[in-house]
Amino acid sequence: MNSPNTKTAIPYNRSRQAREAETMLDHITDDFDDNPAAMDYFYDLFRRAYCQGESLEREGVRVGTTCIHAPEELIYAMGATPVRLCNGSYHYDQIGADFMPAKSCSLVKATLGMLSSENVIPKVGKLDLIVNPTTCDQKKKASAMMVGMGHKVYNLELPPAKESEQARLYWQRSVREFVQQLRQITGKKLTRKNLMAAMARTSRAQAAFRTLHNFRRKAPSLVLGKDVFLVTNAYFFDDIERWTEAVEKLNAELAQRDQDGFCAAQKKAPRILFTGSPPIFPNLKLPLLIEESGGVVVADETCSANRMLYDMTAVDEWLVNDMVDSLANKYLKPCTCPIFTNSDDRLRRLVELAKSFAVDGVVYQAFSGCQVYEMEQKSVAETLNKAGIAMLYIETDYSPDDMGQLTTRIEAFLESLKTRKRNRT
Amino acid sequence: MKRLKDAVDRVDLNRFRFWLQLAMFALLVYGGYLAVDLGSRLPMFSCGFNEEGRAGVCYLLPLQHQLSRPWPQLFGIAGVSVLTGFGVFFLWFIVLNKGWCGYVCPLGTIQDWITALRRRLGARYSRYTQGQFRQLSRIKYLLLALMVLIPLGIGGGWFSRDMGTPFCLICPGRMILPMFTGDFSQFTIDFSSKTALVMTALGMGITGLFLAGAFVKKRFFCFFCPMSALHYLISKPALLKLKKDGDKCTRCGDCYTVCDMEIKEIADDIKTRDIMMDDCILCLKCVAACPEPGALKANFASVTFFESTEAGFIKRSQKGIGLEQPEH
Repeated sequence: MNSPNTKTAIPYNRSRQAREAETMLDHITDDFDDNPAAMDYFYDLFRRAYCQGESLEREGVRVGTTCIHAPEELIYAMGATPVRLCNGSYHYDQIGADFMPAKSCSLVKATLGMLSSENVIPKVGKLDLIVNPTTCDQKKKASAMMVGMGHKVYNLELPPAKESEQARLYWQRSVREFVQQLRQITGKKLTRKNLMAAMARTSRAQAAFRTLHNFRRKAPSLVLGKDVFLVTNAYFFDDIERWTEAVEKLNAELAQRDQDGFCAAQKKAPRILFTGSPPIFPNLKLPLLIEESGGVVVADETCSANRMLYDMTAVDEWLVNDMVDSLANKYLKPCTCPIFTNSDDRLRRLVELAKSFAVDGVVYQAFSGCQVYEMEQKSVAETLNKAGIAMLYIETDYSPDDMGQLTTRIEAFLESLKTRKRNRT
Repeated sequence: MKRLKDAVDRVDLNRFRFWLQLAMFALLVYGGYLAVDLGSRLPMFSCGFNEEGRAGVCYLLPLQHQLSRPWPQLFGIAGVSVLTGFGVFFLWFIVLNKGWCGYVCPLGTIQDWITALRRRLGARYSRYTQGQFRQLSRIKYLLLALMVLIPLGIGGGWFSRDMGTPFCLICPGRMILPMFTGDFSQFTIDFSSKTALVMTALGMGITGLFLAGAFVKKRFFCFFCPMSALHYLISKPALLKLKKDGDKCTRCGDCYTVCDMEIKEIADDIKTRDIMMDDCILCLKCVAACPEPGALKANFASVTFFESTEAGFIKRSQKGIGLEQPEH
């Protein structure tokens, strides 16, 4: 294996790293007929960012986030731009292996690998601050390593449980302190006006996401899951307003498809709910395999899509204090992340999604080394089993080595779902 | 029909409530001038001391009067009138359940106006801690018990007649509501006897507390309201109901965030279907603030007339932010 760290003279777009992205993107676009025309925006965005290494640098203060718990509205309100650093590249996963123990999560390794590189892809520019919410152990410990790489890191303290009133209040205080930190970095004050403007942008983006989410209830499907994952992935680094407009365009096209009675997948294609470790481009191998094998991912419960964009903020009084507390509330209370002590909400959300999206089966991805997802697997399987929903548990990582084996398992699973369906009718 | 339902589910609840409360306030506080008389068994604080303007009387006033009759009368023929009085009160009550508090009670409306004033001034509200909340929440039952026992004690000859209608003597409604018709006569301390002195001074103090409290705490007085306690005890057969479908709840806590009464169960309890808690005022703000379709519902006689919807939530919240909903 070539050392991934080699600094050779070849241009980025011919590097192994670019090819990894390109191969994935080619599969996503070329292996399927009838991709929505509105998806071209996203295909093009990823091609430019990941395959050509085009710069996405923003003006002003840039704040990297390592988790969905960092309230983006606050960052936007202070005139800074958030960029989600969670990375899906195998190339960076290998580099990151130098920092973490062998059996640790690909996502954390890839993020560290990216942050330690000189040429960061996607090219988001020099980060003025990294907000690292204290979620799982691996992300917590990654903090010091990021500092070691020369980054300025702010640990946003998240409570380990979320039910109690103490947890809520503790988190509200954390978020208020985060506002102070942002103020130091940006030199700006959080006001009612700028926070409302920021919340308006996020709210519009979320409304667009929810519309897209609802279109996926339709059977037969109007859109494939691989495309939706790409859309939500773009939210990590894309300009929020441009992103929202592109999603609204996609929604308009799906509305048209709905009217025309269009089917994006076979009518009998098993409908899959995707849960567990988040698929992040270029690591969309599992959703892609499902859809290449004739299934269709109609819903997900992952922090790179649904969990990131679904839950919306309610505010009682539009004053800065109440708005900040309400935001804090949204980033803690509905979250179904397995790092919390109690998994009830996640179990209930999965059953509810499975029912309301008329799902035939659930695919549970756990990155090897992501202990929390691995540990919750059993209870999720039991709960789904009780509700009469089949689940396939897959432990994998970013390496492409297990593709063959995974294909076989997924095909078998989809076949069993089809048989189940036939027997039922 | 579906379009009507959609329109209702997308209603700007806060605005609707403001106007309805205003209309109800005008009716109950000034209706008397137009010869409106809804009787004296009303299940909220339409104060009887507002003698000229009132369009009806709060049931607690006649109830305490009746209970303070001498025992031979009370446990004789007069007992029937206590029962029929309660019957009429009950009939009024079951129509709106605690909706009387959230939409009709003039004292509640005044607190909402004080809240609106505070909001205008840009001051933030305070909240109780969970521990405080649990303790304070009990006070209304204590007041209800005293409100029944003291008049009974008067009838039995243990307490002075000056203690008659003890709750009215300390209720802020007695001083505040007549004020709206220009009657400030209740703002006096009665020095005629020691009991009267203590009770009217207490009343004065509580009124001050009411005004100050409502400024820092939403619906400050409603936590202590014995009428609210009485409502809850008889709320089972009520027609207006707040329902929750726990399966659809994501426990995001949006409902708890907007709840004036800080009722945590509305967000956390996913088992109880009849989710109206004893402090609830059925203002239905939680339904309006819930983004999950069908998770919270307001039913009248088992017919859902208002429920949480995604479109309604988005419309209301974007209006709050000042963003018009883009057309899809």
